Amino acid sequence: MLFNSIEYVIFLPIVVMLFYLLPHRFRWMMLLVASCTFYMWFVPKYILILLITIIVDYSAGILMEKYADNHKLKKRFLVISIVSTCLVLFIFKYLGFVNDNLVALCQSLHINLNTTVDLILPIGLSFHTFQSMSYVIEVYRGNQKAERNFGIYSLYVMFFPQLVTGPIERPGNLLRQLHEEKKFEYDNISKGFRLIIFGLFIKMVVADNVGAYVDMIYDNPSKYNSWDIILGMFFYSFQIYGDFFGYSTIALGSAKLMGFNITDNFNTPYLAKSIAEFWHRWHISLSTWFRDYVYFPLGGSRVKFGRWAFNIMVVFILSGIWHGAAWNFLIWGAAHGLLHIVEKAILNHLPEKENKGKLERIVIDAFKIAKTFILVTLFWSLFRATSFANISDLFTSLVNNFNTGEHLNVENSIWVYLGLFILLDVLLFNSRFDKWCDNRPAVVRWAIYFVLIFMIIACSSVNNFPFIYFQF
Amino acid sequence: MKKLIYKFALLAALLVLMNWIYAKFFFKNDLIKHSDEVELAWQVTNDSCVVVYTGESSNLTYSWKDKDQRKISDFIFDHFPGLKCGDMTKSASHAEVYYYLLENIPENAPVETVIVTMNIRSFGYDWIESNLETAIQKQLVLLKNYPPLFDRFMLAFKAYDIKTEQERGKARYYHLCNDKIVFPYPFNYSTSHEWDYAKAHEGVNDSEGVFNYPLTILACHYIKTYGFQIHENNPRIKDFDNIVKLAKERGWHLIFNLLAENVDRANELVGSDILYLIRQSHDFLLNRYGNIENVTVVDNIGDVRNELFIDQNWTTEHYSEMGRRTIANHVAQAVSNYYPDIYVENIAYDIPKNHYRIDLGFDSLTVYSAMPYGLTIKGKPADIDSNCEKVYISSRLWKDESSALPAIVMELYKNGTKTHFNNLSLNDMTDAIGKWDFTTAVLPIDSTFFNADEFRIFLCNPTDSPIHIKSLDVSFEYDDYARTN
Repeated sequence: MLFNSIEYVIFLPIVVMLFYLLPHRFRWMMLLVASCTFYMWFVPKYILILLITIIVDYSAGILMEKYADNHKLKKRFLVISIVSTCLVLFIFKYLGFVNDNLVALCQSLHINLNTTVDLILPIGLSFHTFQSMSYVIEVYRGNQKAERNFGIYSLYVMFFPQLVTGPIERPGNLLRQLHEEKKFEYDNISKGFRLIIFGLFIKMVVADNVGAYVDMIYDNPSKYNSWDIILGMFFYSFQIYGDFFGYSTIALGSAKLMGFNITDNFNTPYLAKSIAEFWHRWHISLSTWFRDYVYFPLGGSRVKFGRWAFNIMVVFILSGIWHGAAWNFLIWGAAHGLLHIVEKAILNHLPEKENKGKLERIVIDAFKIAKTFILVTLFWSLFRATSFANISDLFTSLVNNFNTGEHLNVENSIWVYLGLFILLDVLLFNSRFDKWCDNRPAVVRWAIYFVLIFMIIACSSVNNFPFIYFQF
Repeated sequence: MKKLIYKFALLAALLVLMNWIYAKFFFKNDLIKHSDEVELAWQVTNDSCVVVYTGESSNLTYSWKDKDQRKISDFIFDHFPGLKCGDMTKSASHAEVYYYLLENIPENAPVETVIVTMNIRSFGYDWIESNLETAIQKQLVLLKNYPPLFDRFMLAFKAYDIKTEQERGKARYYHLCNDKIVFPYPFNYSTSHEWDYAKAHEGVNDSEGVFNYPLTILACHYIKTYGFQIHENNPRIKDFDNIVKLAKERGWHLIFNLLAENVDRANELVGSDILYLIRQSHDFLLNRYGNIENVTVVDNIGDVRNELFIDQNWTTEHYSEMGRRTIANHVAQAVSNYYPDIYVENIAYDIPKNHYRIDLGFDSLTVYSAMPYGLTIKGKPADIDSNCEKVYISSRLWKDESSALPAIVMELYKNGTKTHFNNLSLNDMTDAIGKWDFTTAVLPIDSTFFNADEFRIFLCNPTDSPIHIKSLDVSFEYDDYARTN
């Protein structure tokens, strides 16, 4: 079920109403049924894959707690759990990629290998496997008690607002809340509603409308003028941001309606002054997952520069291939990692100038923000491109088509939507829409609701753009 | 909770205001942008049309060889000079589209008569679940008769039959495999899928008896397209019922234009079983809509011969000029019931008279030894375009026995004396025994033909076993009309 579908518009109020009407002890059951329904709306049979992951990790959690004193055995359970979860991920996400590359390699060596793997990636697999793994690791580390209630543990993995594209929750946050009795509070309904309309606005009005132009450029870059290709790349930065931020915000809002607080996934990432800061602000739940479960165990930053650079590259390459089983994602991740290292290396050699004037600081910050945004935008083209030929075509046309090529006929309304989104994003710097609204007078708040709801209905794209992160 | 109810009331009030703003300032542009066919309804309204024709590609397609390349609707309107007529035609449309277009004609518009194209193919799941359907359904959302903001909401939240091409393909396949087809006589296959599969394996041979792959594909396509039976719950039935209801509400005369299908080709490639299903669908529609007051069904089903179909490699209702004129004449006759004073029966048009037809409708003529000649078409070769090189002779008949003697005969006369005789054995045209069948035969014509004063084409049956004939159709054609493989 998509958040921007009529099915969800009907589904969510029913679930929220049932949630508050039922006694606390039955709520998790209802939420579990609702989550299964939500997931099975896509491809019902894939719930079995989810079930396997849930059973393995649930059992591993209990066994690790049972054998808490036997470190060797405990570790063995952890390894079994992680390997089996990763195996599911590998089979459905990476096996095809590995097979294709093996076939290509064999062909180049004149070895006859002609195998094909044609498995469809279950929606949100990377998200819920990571969420499940974080539980097992936390139990192993002793930070989390093993969950005894299989239903509640299943709900932790399957909680519908964040089931298919996150945020990737930690047991310390979500699992704990699933046990808490939630009381009906007007404030939760109000905030949840605000977040949902804001999320729908940026997904349906901004991302989807801009997406139509992005498709035109990326489908046939050589047809367009260089300036329009740049515009297309710029639009994609806002499409992917609007799309993912929109989804995460609707997820936050949906959970909030029932009193659940889930992790913020974005914090004005395009105002980041460096790549490192960008990753503190973009897809925060994934960045922190890699930080806690990969980067820190590798030694983090408390090591020599060379080792640190290695750690960074490992994390970013893993992050790249987490997004998709293709070379372009790997290169995209590596490019971010490399830039992060270069930025740090330059910073290490630049003396920090003190007593900067206000204006000077503003200009430097603006330059840093612009530089980071431009680099991120450039890298997004690796992410968006459908093949290396597409990337090559894009950049060749970008360089050569300054005096040739067609112009994109961008509707004026697009600039209005983008302008409004950028304005709101800047206003929300280090804040969140629901909280930001709290500080506005009622008339202003309702005027904002009016504009957003009207735009969601009257100005949203009629094209069917699935959420970009669904594919991961 | 009280606070919440108060806020919801406020939200509802704002929605009413939003609807007003949207309807006033945005809706028209959105209609043009996302449902441009509405302009067709606006056009017939602005033109104060009294007669409105709704159609799909059959009303848009013509052959480059046609001397008059206008639409079926134009040919109909030729019969009613001075009457304000208009058409709402869009490719791939079907009854649901027509319904919403008609609904968008204001109630105070002067429309009196509505002609709606009825296409048997559109009742099959091959069309209902066609890959174009998602786009069509999307276009219909804003045409629905709800508050404009609600329609736009439904469009924004994709509240219509939205499926990917893959899902459509699956749905088509599901119906192909699961919709039972029942015959009143023993038939080897219970579904079109089984039939299609068998046909694909059996193959179709060309005139030289060699397996022909494109013809086999085409034969299978005929099975997929026409191999269904219409039931009450068919979505198109609901759409046509809605049109009938709407016409009743608006006081319109309603004419359903049941288009001709290429029964010759269907018979030739698949056989009489597919004709049975086509005939059954035809009968179902005629029975359902033919007896309603103020509703007329114009039956063209078998009235256009194969050579008048433009697309020889696919199942369409795209006709060359003669085909379009045949249909238009039939529809015009039906319309004439409402405008007898304006109706002009004979329209002069500048094309050779190459087409002759006798159709007894539900009656038939029995031909046997006591009355061996039946249903004769006579004509003058001088009336035929001298570039014609072939004559297609089609008939719908029933025989009880197989015999080499019954034949379709062509005789030529000069100064009252028979100068030429040619015959084609019925056995070479059909092996159907004990059921109605369409037959088609082709004879070459040359200078002998054009030198004659008169030609006669008829069925000859010297045997005692009767042959019943319903129709005889003769069409003289240029060589490049010949079917392509």
